[in-house]
Parts: sequence; structure tokens; C-alpha cells
Amino acid sequence: MRDILSTLIPRLGRSGTDSDRSDAETSERPASDRSVDGDVSAGDPAVRADGGVTDQRRSTPGRVIDAVDDRFGSDFVESLPFWGPPFLLMGLFVYGAIVWNLLISLTDFTNFGSPDYSDLDFEMYTRALSDSGVISATANTFILTIAFTVATLVVGLCLAILIDRGIRFENTFRTIYLLPMSLSFVVTAQFWLWMYNVNNGILNIAIGVFGAGPIDWIGNPSVVLWAVVLALLWQFSGYAMVVYLAGLRAIPTEHYEAAQVDGASTLKMYWRVIIPQLKGATISAAVVLMVFALKAFDFLYSLVSGYRPPNGADILATKMVRESYGNLNWAYGAAIAIILFALALAIIGPYLVYEYRRGHL
Amino acid sequence: MAQLELDDLTKVFQDGKDEIVAVDGVSIDIPDGEFLVVVGPSGCGKSTTLRMVAGLETVTSGQIRLDDHVINDVKPQDRDIAMVFQSYALYPHMTVHDNMAFGLEESTDMPDSEIAERVEEAATMMGIDNLLDRKPGELSGGQQQRVALGRAIVRDPEVFLMDEPLSNLDAKLRSQMRTELQRIQEDLGVTTMYVTHDQTEAMTMGDRIAILDGGVLQQVATPLECYHEPNNQFVAGFIGEPSMNFLDVDNENGTLVREGFEYPLAPEIADRVAGRDEVVLGIRPGAVEVEHTSAGDHRFDATVDVVEPMGDENTVYLLFDAWSDDNALVATVSGMRQIESGESVVAHIPEDAIHIFDGETGEALHNRTLVDEEVADVTGD
Amino acid sequence: MSDTSTPATDGELDGSDDARAADRPGALERIDASRVALYGFLIGLLAVYMVPIESGLVTSIKTSPTGVSETLPYMPPLLPETLQFFTTEKWQTAFDALSRGLVSSALYAVPATIISAFAGSLAAYGLTQATWKERYKAPILALFVAGIFIPLQAVLVPLSQFWSNIVNVADLLGFVWALGINDDYAGIVEMIVTHVAYGIPICTVLFRSYYKNMSEEMIESARLDGATMRGVYRRIVLPLSTPMFAVVLIYQFTQIWNDLLFALILISSSASPAAPVVLILAGLGQSMEGQDFPLRMAGAFIAALPTLAVYVAFGEEFAEGVAS
Repeated sequence: MRDILSTLIPRLGRSGTDSDRSDAETSERPASDRSVDGDVSAGDPAVRADGGVTDQRRSTPGRVIDAVDDRFGSDFVESLPFWGPPFLLMGLFVYGAIVWNLLISLTDFTNFGSPDYSDLDFEMYTRALSDSGVISATANTFILTIAFTVATLVVGLCLAILIDRGIRFENTFRTIYLLPMSLSFVVTAQFWLWMYNVNNGILNIAIGVFGAGPIDWIGNPSVVLWAVVLALLWQFSGYAMVVYLAGLRAIPTEHYEAAQVDGASTLKMYWRVIIPQLKGATISAAVVLMVFALKAFDFLYSLVSGYRPPNGADILATKMVRESYGNLNWAYGAAIAIILFALALAIIGPYLVYEYRRGHL
Repeated sequence: MAQLELDDLTKVFQDGKDEIVAVDGVSIDIPDGEFLVVVGPSGCGKSTTLRMVAGLETVTSGQIRLDDHVINDVKPQDRDIAMVFQSYALYPHMTVHDNMAFGLEESTDMPDSEIAERVEEAATMMGIDNLLDRKPGELSGGQQQRVALGRAIVRDPEVFLMDEPLSNLDAKLRSQMRTELQRIQEDLGVTTMYVTHDQTEAMTMGDRIAILDGGVLQQVATPLECYHEPNNQFVAGFIGEPSMNFLDVDNENGTLVREGFEYPLAPEIADRVAGRDEVVLGIRPGAVEVEHTSAGDHRFDATVDVVEPMGDENTVYLLFDAWSDDNALVATVSGMRQIESGESVVAHIPEDAIHIFDGETGEALHNRTLVDEEVADVTGD
Repeated sequence: MSDTSTPATDGELDGSDDARAADRPGALERIDASRVALYGFLIGLLAVYMVPIESGLVTSIKTSPTGVSETLPYMPPLLPETLQFFTTEKWQTAFDALSRGLVSSALYAVPATIISAFAGSLAAYGLTQATWKERYKAPILALFVAGIFIPLQAVLVPLSQFWSNIVNVADLLGFVWALGINDDYAGIVEMIVTHVAYGIPICTVLFRSYYKNMSEEMIESARLDGATMRGVYRRIVLPLSTPMFAVVLIYQFTQIWNDLLFALILISSSASPAAPVVLILAGLGQSMEGQDFPLRMAGAFIAALPTLAVYVAFGEEFAEGVAS
């Protein structure tokens, strides 16, 4: 017996390729069983619902599927019916349409009918660059987007911190702050039109208390953009609050306690320990808010019930729709849309890369 | 029932530009009905190996054969393999009955009545027949464990795969389930591959154990073979608790030497280590004898450093008086024996119990000598 | 690498927010000055937030133009001396003007919501719980995510071209109009398809974030139990998606109901029988002499009623939807 063992040892080398044929006592009996089993399964694949598939799959389409799966991963073909159709529909309407839009922007398409794709040039873009309307709309787009985003983030953060301080009826507070977001721009535009009314609006009554005003919030070109920002701030600060609240909840309680043990004041604790950890929440909230700002078209349209927003509040989104659907300058509208798209891409592109690097995609 | 063969199985993960070899040319034959425990430290590739067998991980190279059919490209759902996960992975929205019936419903055309019958039968076997109408959320950890096992059993698959199924249980329940699992596997006779990092589970449960380290198979053998006849220093150190003592020594013409330490070898052992200058002397703590005789051949003056009473035995840390470093030798002695920290003793390292490993490769050059009846234990059924 | 799989949680949502908040420093419910100030401030702020809505509500039950000019905008006309300005006539008028819009809106918002949520769930499943190479999955996912943020202006002109020149629903569904249904309702079909197409990205991303947290081992276990991808979806993933369906359906419904841009482009005339409520509301109270604010306010509330009702009933789900 000792000899059997000692002959075993050199075989089981460091490389560890086992195969252990020498272990006769344990493997011989099963080996004979195996041959019986093997015959059964090889002879009648139908008996085995499972292993038999190996044999059945050797048809030509089966081989193609295998090859595709080999290239893309084992579930690729099987998963295609799930994500394929939605992807196709979305791809066609979003990305197909953008390419098409780019093409239309290179034509001279106006009025009714179909665009003529035989003569493509950048005329519409040069026209846009020299159009003072486009330039001021671009400036307004920037002002609106940045002012609205920054203000909403700040207000949302303050609300979130206050609500996070273990107050009662937290859900009630949250629900009410978030309520305006469930309303349509068309609806909130009606409310704010009334708020901003020169004669009877609450805002003018409020500043009247301090002896100021009345101000024509909508009619004054230098004020209207800020009036829009305030209305949007009202509508979306609840959103920023909810995002920040989720971010605050993700911070371990120990961080608060550690900062307090370290003797930091409440203000310092938030500024130096908590807020830096909200970077991710800030970035994703900011991107979403910028998209909401782009949708301000609905709000501006509803303020005046028309394509021409109040003087001083024209943004690229409204300008684009007005050129296309008001003036039927389709190609020109498409070119403005591409400019708007490029601006949006400048924000979204880096954001997507950032999220991808963090592994959040 | 089936024989499972892993042939030169390799898995390489791509991590950016880096390639990480998780499993490196592993070959194991698991005969029909065998309970094979795959054991190793975390990150050794044991779970990856199991997941390749399940079809949850693609195979980079090599083959997996089930009864001589290559199943590398067969989808998990077509392999007729049942797996028990560490988290149990029960379907939370289904009752215990539905959890257990799911596999049969999806993989066979069996009529409902027969499915119900088999579920009933398996549930009785696992002692959960009174829980069939409950949902997993209403069960204790141990009960969920049983459901997970029952779900595997009811399928009557070719192969059972188990990925650390007991590690979420408390110690008492774990040892209970260990016995039960073994019994069930024996009754059903289903080829089983069981992954664990716990060498106690490996020793007590497996017909054979496969030890993996760094993706490389170190040894496949019965538990006692692995314990007494380790292939190399890694296996020797991994199997056994407390683990084997290792002393780095020089081989000077058949005498193992280090500062203040000389260990002459019998001629037949000396022959085996001839030509290797740096070797490692290994001795199981249980084989070290703590005596009060005087020093001599294989006996060394030592001082008791720490005593850890374990109840039935004491773990004793000994410091050799002649050594300047604090390299301790661990010995286990009977729990009934009075031994005090600071006591002067003599440590006897019996020559028939030593292991010698190559200092560079770790390969076992000499393993302990077993008397005949022990050998019978090692290989006998 | 291989052994890092940790026991995954069973996709249950953590409901211990309140308990955690109570552990926060300063969470002790003490009656001290700073605590009172905190509540005072939050309640004050709440009032400010409610002003536009409150003012709209009280104005909607005033007569125009005298009631509006004779009372303060935030005072309801319910005091004995202002009761003469009280009227429900504006609500009646607004409802008469908007009722057909409510029907049209529901006709496209409900199907589009359901279809886009379902499509998003399918896509997210195929892109999350199916195993295929990350290398190919990532760009497709990126296209889905980017689809959320595309400014819709960039697709408007092709969209009108598509629906007027390439797929003319009014012509295609000739047999429907033959039944006596106004062919303006072709716009409803266009609205459904369009809203589904542009709603898919957000629905997919919402479901994906949910599916990513679902126990991977559970899905693997189902596959090993012999279930195909279809079987896993139908029997495991779909039943467990109910909470997320609530979130996505509510979010999508408010988005689609509230949207004006597509309605403006695809239906264009508020006189059309298919005109949705937002389109009619945008022009309501404008054509009368001056601006009829009470009528506008009443109209705004009627148009907002469905989304408000959904929000009040499912505020939690809505909050969860916007946060992710």
C-alpha cells in the first residue's frame, strides 16, 4: 500500500493536471456505468430534452446562431427579440431623424412639398450665423439654461438639507415641493401669467408692499427672461431636492458623526464633508435640468399662445419652431435645430463619458 | 446520472487591456455519483470553474464533457444541471411549491399532477413539506436553504453544482446541514461538484477534494490523501487546522540545518531530498510531541510562548531556545494536560511524521510515513 | 476575480429611510428654538410654493373682469362682501371647451404610456439580464441613454415630413374613416407612435436601473432550471417588476399628458376634434376681449386634473421615478 501511494506522488506534479487515472479504486466502477449512460443518450437524443439539443443544433441556421453568439455573447440571439424592436423604433425616430434633419438643413427646403436633396450646401448655417435673431436666441438659451440650472440646484440642495434633518411629515413636505413638477408647462404658464399680471398679479402686489413696481414682468424685455427663470425654478426645485435627498441618504451616518466628533460646526460639516460627496447627484441633476430648460418651449409658447415668445425671451427652441412651422422655412429651422443639438451634445457627451467611466451606464 | 469531465479548462477575463487568467488548464474527471469538493482560497478560480460547468461563464479554452458530450456551447437551460447558490436565489414571488416546480415546468413536458407529486416527494425528503404554501420571505435562513436544495433535487438533474451553499448559515446549522447534504447525495447518487473555501467542509463532505490555487489545480485526491500525502506545500498548508508548521532549512548531506537546529534524516528520506539545497520541513501540529525529556536527535529545547485552550485539546506555541527569531512551532496536545506559558519543554519532531518540500517549487519530496492500517483508511472505501 | 460574487439582495427596496433619518445628528425631537425655526421656515416656504396654485384656484371661481379687479388675487370670493363675485360659470365654460380635449389626450396618452413602459421593460431586460459582451452592449446602452437627452427640436422637421409624406396615417387607415370617424384622429395614431418612440429611452433606463439590482443569482438559477430567456422574463422578471411598472407608468403618463410640442406639430389646430387638452388650453381665454384669467385658471385645473390625481395618489412612485 505504501508503494501505491509513493508512486502516486510524483504523478501529481506541481502542474496539477489531475486526471487521476491511477486512482483505480474510485474511478473504475463509474467508468463502466458511464458507457451505459452514454449509449442511451447518444442513441436517442429525444429521450434527453437537454443534452440532445447539442445534436439538434447542428443545422445551418443553428450554426449561424452559434457563430453570432460566439461573437457577441451567449445570449445575444436569444435576447435580440427583447431589445431589438424597441431599439429599432427608438433608433429610427431619434437617430435616424437627426441624420435626416441634418440632411434637410443642407437643402433650401421652404413651404410645402418635399425637400430637394440634389443641391446640398451650408447656406442655412451661414445665414444663421449672420442672423441677429439666432445670436440673441443663443445668448438667451445660455442665460436661461445656466441661470435656471444653478438657481434650481442651490434651492434644491437647501431644501434637501433642511428636509433631511429628521423632520416630521417629511413625505408631506416632499410631496408638496415636488407637486409643480407634475404639472404641464401649459398649466404652469397660466398660473404664472396670472402671478405676473401687471395690474392684479400677486408679485406686483408683493413688491408694492415695499413701495416698488408695478413691473411689467412679461412685457419688459430685460425682465422677462428672469421671470421665466423664476417660474421654472418654482416648477423644478422639487426635482433637484428629491435627487439631492437620495444623494444625502446614500452618505453613511458615520460621516456625520465623524465630522461632529471632529468638532466641525453644522455649517462646516455640510460644506466640507457632505456637499463634496454630492458631486454625482449634482452632475446628474444638472444634466436633467438643462434638458428641462430646453423644453421651456412649451412654457414660452403657452405664455403668448403663439410661436412668437415675449420680446427678450426668444430661445433657440422657440426660434426653431417659429422658423419651421410659423414661416415654413424648414431648412433654416432644421439648421437651427442642429445648432441646438450640437450645444446639447456638448453637455450630454461629456456626461455620458463620465457616467460610463463611473460604471453607471 | 453522469460522468463529468473537465479537460484543460481555462478561463481568461479581459480587464481593459489586461488579461486575467482565472482558471488555468484545470483537468478533473468526476465519475458518476461522486461528491467532489472544490476548495481553495478566495480568488483561486473555484467559483469560475463551477460557473463554466453551469454554462454561466464562457469557456476560453478546453472542454467540459458530460457523458462524453462536449457541452461548452450548450446554454445553461439545456444542460440539465441544477445549481444551489450561496444566496439561495429563490424566486421571492413564488411559493415554496412553485419554486420547486419551476424547473420541472420549464424543462420538461411533465403533467402538473406528476410535478406536484415529485415536489411533494422532494419536500418530504428535505423536511419542508409543511412549508409548501409559504413564500421565501416568510422562511428562516435554514428553511430557505432547504428549499434551495429541494429545488435542485426535484429536477433529478445529471449534475448538482453547489456554490458555498452553507456559508450563510450559523455554525450549528451548518454542521447539521453538512451531514444531511452528504446523506442526500449518497441516497440520490447524483454527481456533485461542491465549491467551498472552508477546508473543514472539504474534508468532511467530499469523496474527493480538488484544491485550486491561482487558477491552477494543485491536487485531486481523497481528503485523507490530501491531508497525509499533500502534493505540495500549498496543499499541506491549506488542508488541516491548525495548519502545518513549515521550517525553512538547508539540506546538508542528509541533515536539515538552520541556526541552532540540526535534524538528521534517515537514509531513505535523505535519498529523496538529495540534490536539493533549500528545502522546507513540514510537521503537523498534532504530530509534534511536547515532552520533558532532554534534547537529542529530533528533540529540541523550547519554551512555551502561548497556550490556547480549545477544550479537548490545547494549541501550544513553542519558541526554540536556540533560535534568535521568534519563529514559533505550533503543537496540539491533549486538553487534559496541564501546560503553562513560560514552561521549559522539549519539542519532539518524530521523523516518521515529517514532510519535506522543495524550497523553490514547493513540490513534496517526502511525505509522512503511515502505518498500514492508516493507509487502509486513506485509500480504502 | 472569480470569487467576488457576494450574496445579492433580492431586489427589495430599502424602506428604512425614516429609521435612518432619525439616527441623524439633530434628529432628536427636541422642542428648541432652532427646531421651531426650521419648521417655521419650511412651512413658510411651503406657503410660497403653494401661492401660484392657490391664487389660480381662487381666481377660477371669480367673475371676470369685475371680480378679478375688485378682489385681491389670493383672496377667495367667499367673504360676505365679495360673494357677489363668486361664480362656477368659468369652470363650466372651461369644461365645455376642454372636455373633447380630455378625451383626445386620454386616447393617445394611455396607450402610449402602456406601450412605452412595456417596450422599455423588454429592452432593459434584453440589455441587462442577458449575458452578451459588454463591449457590444455598452454602445447600444449609450444610444438609449443619450436618447433621453436629445432636444426634440432636432427631430421635428423630419418628424412632420415622416408623418405627412412617408407614412400617411390618414391614407393608410382609410377603412377606419369610412366608418364615419373623423380622419383627424389619424393624429392620435401618430401621437401614440411618436410618444412611444421618444419614451422608450427613459423607460429603458428606469427599468435597467431596477433590473441591475435584481439578484443575478436568481436569474441564473432560473436559466439553470431550464427556463429560456422568454420564460425567465414572463415568470420571474415581469412579476417582480410590478413596483417599477408603477413608477414608469406614472412618470410616462404625466410626461405624455403634459407635453405640448408634439401635439402642436402633429395635430397643430386646437379646432381639430383630435386636439389634446394642452393644445386647447394654450389658446383658452385668449380670444375673448382681454384675457379672461378666471377661465384660464379653471381650464388649467381641468387640464391638470388627471396628472394631479395621479400625483396625489402615487406621489411616492413619482418621486422615485424622477430621482432615478
